[in-house]
Amino acid sequence: MSGRWHFRTLGAAVLSLVSVAYAAPVSIPHGSVELLSEVPSLQPGKSFYAGLKFKLETGWHIYWINPGDAGQPPKLTWQLPAGITAGPIEWPYPKRLAAFSAVDFGYEDEVLLLIPMKAGPELRNGGSANLAAEVRMIVCREMCIPGRAQVAAKLPVQAQSGQTRANPLFAAARRKLPQPAPRSWEFRATDQTEAFLLSAVVGGPIRQAVFFPLEESQIENAAPQVVRTSKTGFEMRLQKSSQLLKPIPRLRGVLLLGDKAYDVNAPVR
Amino acid sequence: MKRPALHTFAAIFASVVLTLPITPTASAATRVGDIAPDFQGTGSDGKSYGLAQYKGKFVVLEWHNQGCPYTDKHYESGNMQRLQKEWTAKGVVWFTVISSAPGTQGYVDASDENSYLARMKAAPTAALLDPSGQLGHLYGAKTTPHMFVINPQGVLIYDGAIDDRPTTDVSDVNGAKNYVSEALGEAMAGKTVATPVTRPYGCSVKYGN
Repeated sequence: MSGRWHFRTLGAAVLSLVSVAYAAPVSIPHGSVELLSEVPSLQPGKSFYAGLKFKLETGWHIYWINPGDAGQPPKLTWQLPAGITAGPIEWPYPKRLAAFSAVDFGYEDEVLLLIPMKAGPELRNGGSANLAAEVRMIVCREMCIPGRAQVAAKLPVQAQSGQTRANPLFAAARRKLPQPAPRSWEFRATDQTEAFLLSAVVGGPIRQAVFFPLEESQIENAAPQVVRTSKTGFEMRLQKSSQLLKPIPRLRGVLLLGDKAYDVNAPVR
Repeated sequence: MKRPALHTFAAIFASVVLTLPITPTASAATRVGDIAPDFQGTGSDGKSYGLAQYKGKFVVLEWHNQGCPYTDKHYESGNMQRLQKEWTAKGVVWFTVISSAPGTQGYVDASDENSYLARMKAAPTAALLDPSGQLGHLYGAKTTPHMFVINPQGVLIYDGAIDDRPTTDVSDVNGAKNYVSEALGEAMAGKTVATPVTRPYGCSVKYGN
């Protein structure tokens, strides 16, 4: 490494400390929310990630994209300057939250929802951009309280970018995003009148697995997910929802094995 | 993890002893197209109400919790009261059902509920008090509000949300597609219900054990 490289790295580090203007976390019922950027500055023509960080008091939760039996996921309405666009939220895998004989899917304590963003090539170096959004959410424990917050982060626009203090948070959230399953794996589902039997071939016996359905009203969220270990994976019985009246062609969801989550898109036969 | 085993047992039991009054569970919930199971409930007015006595009429079941912001949206806006008045005027029987267990949000005794009904100018046929959750489990009520419509032949023809705006915002009431009104309107006109099932939205029903 040359001395010049060191100098540059140091320069970037200093830059990151002075350049991102995060607004303070905004209060929501029983917690706070904050808009973070993974980069300290926007580079014209480059993609980057923003993150919505929720911090909740013990016992309170917000919801995943499929909230399960009750609740609703947070909704983000962007107010973005011309040239900046936001993609759909990428959701870390949730937790099963059981209460009152219902099961919801959501997040307790802390979560960073990731949002892919793009800075257009027309952005002018030397300027700045204010990323702002209205966030609506419902925060629940044994009861639910709706909340609304206005969040923002102001970033300079410049040719170079670097790290921010939020990078470890983004890395941690990314580890919780469902990944495409390895190519050698296979998921299939069988329609068994009262239940779906999800068979997974994953190259070795699996004792514990959790399935989070992406579609609402296909499986009974609160029913136990009975796992039967096989030599190459497992079979899981998922009780059908009493609201499911028609056959479904595919069973889509997120499968949690240990601390790794995978996309499931299984044909149903 | 003890309860699921009990559920399974109860489900097997229920499927075998079809004609007896059953101890209902979530897994034995009624599906659209099924005959809606009979029930006996006590109203906040002290009277007893059974489904069977309303054969020949449309019946609406509305799960309710006065502390739930999703329920509030429809009462603060007057939407639920409007629906109750509109449809009961057309001969529909409308039961508001409260399945919150004692000590949980939304639990009320008869006099609490009567003052709520008066204060809100609510107009259901009756508000049924179901602190044991038996009626809730029988129909698989998941949220407040969760709506069910039963036709004059006693068949469940709608199970789901009140409308297509799953939020707590009062401003979302106007312009929403009301699934209950659609189902009742279509069924009264002799048509099939176009949207017989939707995901109910709201707060979880606060069942006891």
